[in-house]
Amino acid sequence: MSEPGRCPRRRAQRRLRLILLAGAVALITAACADEHPLDTLTEAGPDAQEINDLFFPVLGVAILVFFLVQGAVIYLAVRYRVRRKASAPGDDPGGDDLYGDDEYPEQVHGNLRLELAWTIIPTILLAVISVFTLISLVELNEVSAAEDDLRVTVVGQQWWWEFQYHLDGDTSTPPDIVTANEMVIPVGQQVPLEVTSRDVIHSFWVPRLNGKKDAVPGRTHPWVIEADEPGRYMGQCTEFCGLSHAYMRMYAIVLTQAEWEQWVQGQLVDAAPLEPGDPGYEGQELFLANCANCHVVNGVTDVNLDDVADGTQDYAGANSITSALVAGAAPNLTHVASRTTFAGSIFDLYDNRAKRIPYLEVAEQGRLNRGDLEAWIRNAPERKANDADGARGMTAFPGLTEGDIDALVEYLTTLR
Amino acid sequence: MTTTSEPPLQLTAGEQLVRPSASLGVLARPKGDVGWKSWLFTVDHKRIGIMYGAAALLFLVIGGIEALLIRLQLAVPGGNVLSEDAYNQVFTMHGVTMVFLVIMPMAAAFANYLLPLQVGARDVAFPRLNAFSLWCFLAGGIFLNTSWLLGGAPDGGWFGYAPNSGLVYSPSHGMDFYALGLQIAGIASLVSAINLIVTVLNMRTPGMSLWRMPVLTWMLLVVQFLLLFAIPVITVALFLLSFDRLFDANFFNVAAGADPLLWQHLFWIFGHPEVYILILPAFGIMSEVIPVFSRKPIFGYPFMVFSGIAIGFMGWGVWAHHMFTSGIGPVSVAVFSLSTMFIAVPTGVKILNWLATMWGGRIRFTTAMLYSVGAVAMFTIGGLSGVTHAISPADTQQTDTYYIVAHFHYVIFGGSLMGFLSGLYFWWPKAFGYKLNERWGKAGFWVLLVGFNLTFGPMHILGLQGMSRRIHSYAADSGFNLWNLVATVGAFVIAVGLLMFFWNIGISRRGARGAPPVGPDPWDARGLEWMTASPVPTHNFDREITVTRQDEFWHRKWGQDENGKVVRIAQAADVAHDGSATNVHLPSPSYWPVVVALGLPFVAYGLIYNLWLTGVGALLILGGLYAWVFEPPDDPEAHDHDDHHAEDPSGNGASGGGPSGGGPSGDENGAPADGGEAPELVGAAASGGSTVRAAGDQA
Repeated sequence: MSEPGRCPRRRAQRRLRLILLAGAVALITAACADEHPLDTLTEAGPDAQEINDLFFPVLGVAILVFFLVQGAVIYLAVRYRVRRKASAPGDDPGGDDLYGDDEYPEQVHGNLRLELAWTIIPTILLAVISVFTLISLVELNEVSAAEDDLRVTVVGQQWWWEFQYHLDGDTSTPPDIVTANEMVIPVGQQVPLEVTSRDVIHSFWVPRLNGKKDAVPGRTHPWVIEADEPGRYMGQCTEFCGLSHAYMRMYAIVLTQAEWEQWVQGQLVDAAPLEPGDPGYEGQELFLANCANCHVVNGVTDVNLDDVADGTQDYAGANSITSALVAGAAPNLTHVASRTTFAGSIFDLYDNRAKRIPYLEVAEQGRLNRGDLEAWIRNAPERKANDADGARGMTAFPGLTEGDIDALVEYLTTLR
Repeated sequence: MTTTSEPPLQLTAGEQLVRPSASLGVLARPKGDVGWKSWLFTVDHKRIGIMYGAAALLFLVIGGIEALLIRLQLAVPGGNVLSEDAYNQVFTMHGVTMVFLVIMPMAAAFANYLLPLQVGARDVAFPRLNAFSLWCFLAGGIFLNTSWLLGGAPDGGWFGYAPNSGLVYSPSHGMDFYALGLQIAGIASLVSAINLIVTVLNMRTPGMSLWRMPVLTWMLLVVQFLLLFAIPVITVALFLLSFDRLFDANFFNVAAGADPLLWQHLFWIFGHPEVYILILPAFGIMSEVIPVFSRKPIFGYPFMVFSGIAIGFMGWGVWAHHMFTSGIGPVSVAVFSLSTMFIAVPTGVKILNWLATMWGGRIRFTTAMLYSVGAVAMFTIGGLSGVTHAISPADTQQTDTYYIVAHFHYVIFGGSLMGFLSGLYFWWPKAFGYKLNERWGKAGFWVLLVGFNLTFGPMHILGLQGMSRRIHSYAADSGFNLWNLVATVGAFVIAVGLLMFFWNIGISRRGARGAPPVGPDPWDARGLEWMTASPVPTHNFDREITVTRQDEFWHRKWGQDENGKVVRIAQAADVAHDGSATNVHLPSPSYWPVVVALGLPFVAYGLIYNLWLTGVGALLILGGLYAWVFEPPDDPEAHDHDDHHAEDPSGNGASGGGPSGGGPSGDENGAPADGGEAPELVGAAASGGSTVRAAGDQA
């Protein structure tokens, strides 16, 4: 949270949290964020913080009740247990009832006061929790960003995420930047989102930053995201969306304000069509012949955002349902080499060393993860289940030679 | 009846038998008590209950194998036991099977077997409809599972969210099987609900007022009302889905302007009451078992009943807590968040009342008791995790993660299934005349308990660490490796625990041969069902029982001395009926319920493959219904037999009035008679004097 006034409350709650969590639970939950990239308990943004500030005390109460009830069960079981009578020789220990049947304790039918008490006390307890829940709900639904601040339309599609940047906050106009799989946002700034889908229901979730919001076709759901620290935060689609539901991941890349502005400037530039003789030209021609039916490279493929702005051509990647299964609804590749993952963020575009390279320099310094990329171009359905025949997901290209694939890869690396 | 110190019991029947006209009907009704036909055409609520239970256990094996496949696939990162497609089918069918084909029919098994016995009735109100329910359920379940062999099982999740369940995104016939199969199974639930409601409301033995009914009867009654109102909602949803898929309707076609949230609302308006449909019968069972083995009456009977009713009502106001992230507005989220929180109150009351029942008791830890106490403990965990996602902001993190998977398995496995296992161990001797082996039972319980917690405990952690549901694979660097492996090991421990249960059935059955009979009341129990022989004779009770208080049977065995100490006043065997009555009027078996039920899958296959097949199904259904309607109320020749005695064709026994309409004339209390042979009983029901409340045939 940005307001300093909230900090003491949070500190107090943190202490409360420590007290409430028993050692075993703490051991389990004190997970290192590096080892658990989707951990909901190691919050990295004010919204996730707000949620955990509510969750942990309630979890603490639940654990307390857990111990009380289980303790009571064990106590009653031990205290009031009647042991089996010693079995006489010849008794079938598994068969007959060997318990005494001659004694009954006092027959208590109930106790109105007691029962009223354990009806009313939980009610009060839950009423208190519900007050905090409502407060929390209101706070989570507050949008502090201004109307003309950055706004991102998040579009779920089988099985990847598209991010459409509206730098002026106006989502009625075509987006300024269209990218996929990696949502780059500035640190410490609340970014309002509009979450939608082109086909089935997905759910947008970056657990360390905020809870999830379903992407429902035909509907636009407001959501926000904000990070306290620069970093790379993993996300995962959490609404079952078909074959490759597990392979629908994403990253929120959080940069400093200056870096973010630099990234925006880079993304705003269209790709320049290559001329014969340029490195990658051969790949560009192959791209136009094989890939441009679905993938957009601004400035190169037929469909580009300027045309859309002119009204001369439909923006094929627009958020219309009818476009779900037609060309143009594959990831926009204008700056594909500036990203670090592809295919729903399940493959790294660069090898492991790239993780230590600043995000903006990856395209320059990173070493391409050629194996996965070539395999993907060669036969995508083999790497990630899809229904390419039903126009859901990328098809295989059995007609491409290895030389063609090399050329395509070379072309893609020029798209920085 | 063996030795007795008190006067034997006698009937006050006397009227003449009224025989039906032999000209009635188009076909004679089937006869016989043995052989497969006697099961296929039975209308006996006990046989139907047993078949419900057997089918549920069979489907439990199938659903369990599916669960093991899921766990094998997820044991290690990047698992390749199943393809993505196969995984989606397996987890969908695991959910559908466990909810609709295991827990619901298991509850139906207990309801069918026990509910008429617990209210002292001869059978359910509509015996043939009861048989129809069973065959409908089986038809639906088998139909659903044939999809495995016919090009692929449903793959859209048990919740079948549109538009992913539509033809574009799920092009195989799987979701057609889902929609039509559940439709057929839904008919079973709906019919059964009406049947059992009428039974409870109209066929209670004299003196069995609503406030004297056992808690199990109450919970089952609440469940039947939930079914009555919830099933139509899923019926509508499934029809819309079927029309979309089969006839190009546009209910969920977003391009044509549909809102996919419509499906979610319909599904969960059914789906949340469904949760209580799954758990309340187990609550009822635990409320029977815990008092018996604690040797105390249920603590706070009115609270137990009212909390069950409260859950039944409140269960309708919480469905959208499944949709906190679906994009319903913040006000809706707030409202459903609060309603969800407060449904925890009646549930909590139940838990504390069970504990209070144990308090001060003399607790015998039989297997049945272990399972019931285990269910209390495990359900508590599920209830508490439920509160942590009733707070909707936290739910936005937890929903669709393994935290939810953990939560509902603690509720449905830890609560419902353990409750049912408790009930199986408890009522097994009543149904089959021998006890299940206690040593194997207890060992099986502990194995199951350990396996259960190993499997589902770690899922809390996995969920909070961000593991999504319904993913066929996870990356090695997601940090999910350890607990997934533990969960998989746990799943196999569960399998061992369940196999021990099945093994126990086998060895107990064998061990029971030649063993002394278990007697009517092996546990020193309380309900009326223990007041007749084990296994329960076809006619349930030899004589009508007049109830004067709760736990009537127990009070006939035990009294209080001047100090208020409980002392035995009679042996169970002396109080209980020995099942020797003959010539009891009973509804005759019928061919037609199974014929009509058989028509339904034909219709369904026809809708998928070829409409001519639908015509065949329609003929079966219409023909079966025609024959059903004109079937004679009884086999006209049966009056020569010892039982299945023909009588009043109007079936007046069942329609003979309200809960206590029979009046005290049939009270067997203290009436002296020769205990050795039960006297003639027939005709009494026909006269309306009603010593025995016969089940009607007019269903």
